[in-house]
Amino acid sequence: MDFDRRRILKFIGKGSVLAAFLGQIGAAGRAFFPNVLYEPPSRFKLKRPGDYPDGYTLDEAHRLYVIRQKDAFHVISAICTHLGCNVQWKDTEFDCPCHGSRFHPDGTVISGPAPRALDWFATTVSPDGFLQVDSAQEVARDFRLLVGKGKA
Amino acid sequence: MGDKIKSLWRKTSWAWSPDSERESSEAIVKNFWLHWFPAKVARASMDWNYSFWLGTASAALLLILTVTGVMLMFFYVPSTERAYGSIKDLQYAVSFGRLLRNQHRWAAEGMVAIVYIHMARVFFTGAYRGTRAVNWVVGVVLFLSTLLLSFTGYLLPWDQLAFWAITVGTSIAKQAPVVGPTIQFILLGGHEIGQQTLLRFYVLHVFFLPVFALVLFAYHMWRIRKDGGLAAIERVRNERTMAPKATPKTKSYSLFGITPGTSVQVMSSTGLEQSDQVFSSPNMSRRIALVFLIVFNITLLAALLFNAPLEGLANPSVTPNPAKAPWYFVWLQELVASTTVRMGGFTVSGALLGGILLPGFLLAVLTLWPWIDRSPLRTEGRWLAPERRRQNATFAVATLLVILLIMVGVYLRGPYWRIYWPGQPRPEMPRFY
Repeated sequence: MDFDRRRILKFIGKGSVLAAFLGQIGAAGRAFFPNVLYEPPSRFKLKRPGDYPDGYTLDEAHRLYVIRQKDAFHVISAICTHLGCNVQWKDTEFDCPCHGSRFHPDGTVISGPAPRALDWFATTVSPDGFLQVDSAQEVARDFRLLVGKGKA
Repeated sequence: MGDKIKSLWRKTSWAWSPDSERESSEAIVKNFWLHWFPAKVARASMDWNYSFWLGTASAALLLILTVTGVMLMFFYVPSTERAYGSIKDLQYAVSFGRLLRNQHRWAAEGMVAIVYIHMARVFFTGAYRGTRAVNWVVGVVLFLSTLLLSFTGYLLPWDQLAFWAITVGTSIAKQAPVVGPTIQFILLGGHEIGQQTLLRFYVLHVFFLPVFALVLFAYHMWRIRKDGGLAAIERVRNERTMAPKATPKTKSYSLFGITPGTSVQVMSSTGLEQSDQVFSSPNMSRRIALVFLIVFNITLLAALLFNAPLEGLANPSVTPNPAKAPWYFVWLQELVASTTVRMGGFTVSGALLGGILLPGFLLAVLTLWPWIDRSPLRTEGRWLAPERRRQNATFAVATLLVILLIMVGVYLRGPYWRIYWPGQPRPEMPRFY
């Protein structure tokens, strides 16, 4: 290689323009990945445990079902694991209106295109006495939150 | 008065006027509006029964969509709070706003259909051989852009259809291996559908996709000329066989005549002859104008007779039951709903199989078809050539299957995506619009 001054200066000149151009494209691309999301937090409060009747109650705002069996509570996501539509509770099963998936009362798949069971969310009682759900934290299907009669 | 307008028109569009045939062919190149066309065009490629002018009809629809789309941009607000209201304003408060939106909607749905039928025409006439293969691939990309323009377009009203179509559409994107979740993240501009999503789809719909489609459309047109015109010309050429022409009587003797047994023979041309061609203006320009007027009037009539659908305001809490995609995507909805495969404990979601892999495979086969086709070249530019019977049958059967899936999705699917045969009672579902 002939490392004369002219070649090196040319390389630096063209290279810096190319690098700046690629950098600019990279920066423009990076801008499309938001750093701040104005989305609701994954942990949120519902109503007081006592406000829920026995059985399956839909919380429309949070797209989940609160299930009460006397003093035991658990929360199942209403978002179909297939393509994200809201499943509906129909007395004995969950049915999805978009592509016809059907789920058992515990969220496992009966039939249809859904690849896996509905999510179960970790549920606690907040210090001020409300049901509190963390939709980022999944729990196993034997999870039950026991709320004493006095607390509810 | 009429003469004055005519002379004004001539003065503004012509710098000069032709005196001979040769000059009129040059005139086409010198006129701004006509320089897009070749000076002369083969009669065979203007045959109504060959191309049905479907490509021209698609271009007319693109023009209508661009003009009505820019008009709609004056009234539409790409905000989750105001988008739905601005569509309602177009329907009820803006003079002729409903007509404008209707025409945009029906032209868009018409374009999906016409572009596909145009592609079918090119397939059935074997018009993608040789150098025309490039334009076939460009055409497939243009068809894909048409679908993407439709998809981004129907999100904008921010009604229930919009919201749930985007929920399902971006969930399919999420199923792509490795890059899926990232693609979904930048499409939505977050993890949930919101203001960022609407704005992104809006800019894609009104700027990136139309500009992409227009540039590609210009290239598509340029390619037609560089490939020598429509493939119908090849049929004319192939039908010509070399035959000796009657030797013109002449008084001079050629050198060949001196050698015994040899004489001058003029063979007929196998190429296009003078008589096969006509000036593109007015012969082609007038036909193009006619096709544009017909397409314009049909979309206007459709806009006057039928209203573009608008469902209730987008509501993330309530999925419409059933939630159906527009007719041109319903076959994909059928596929994602029925292709989940379970083998033992292993599950492949229909979203991946029917939503990505199967359409991707179909698209790849379609794109590569010019190189799959091994039929003799004499089939070029001929409708339903017997040598291509199997290919044509394959394309027809695939198209019919898609149409069948569309019919099932549109007419038979009821609440919870179950099949209800005609006449079978359907349960009443609460409607939220």
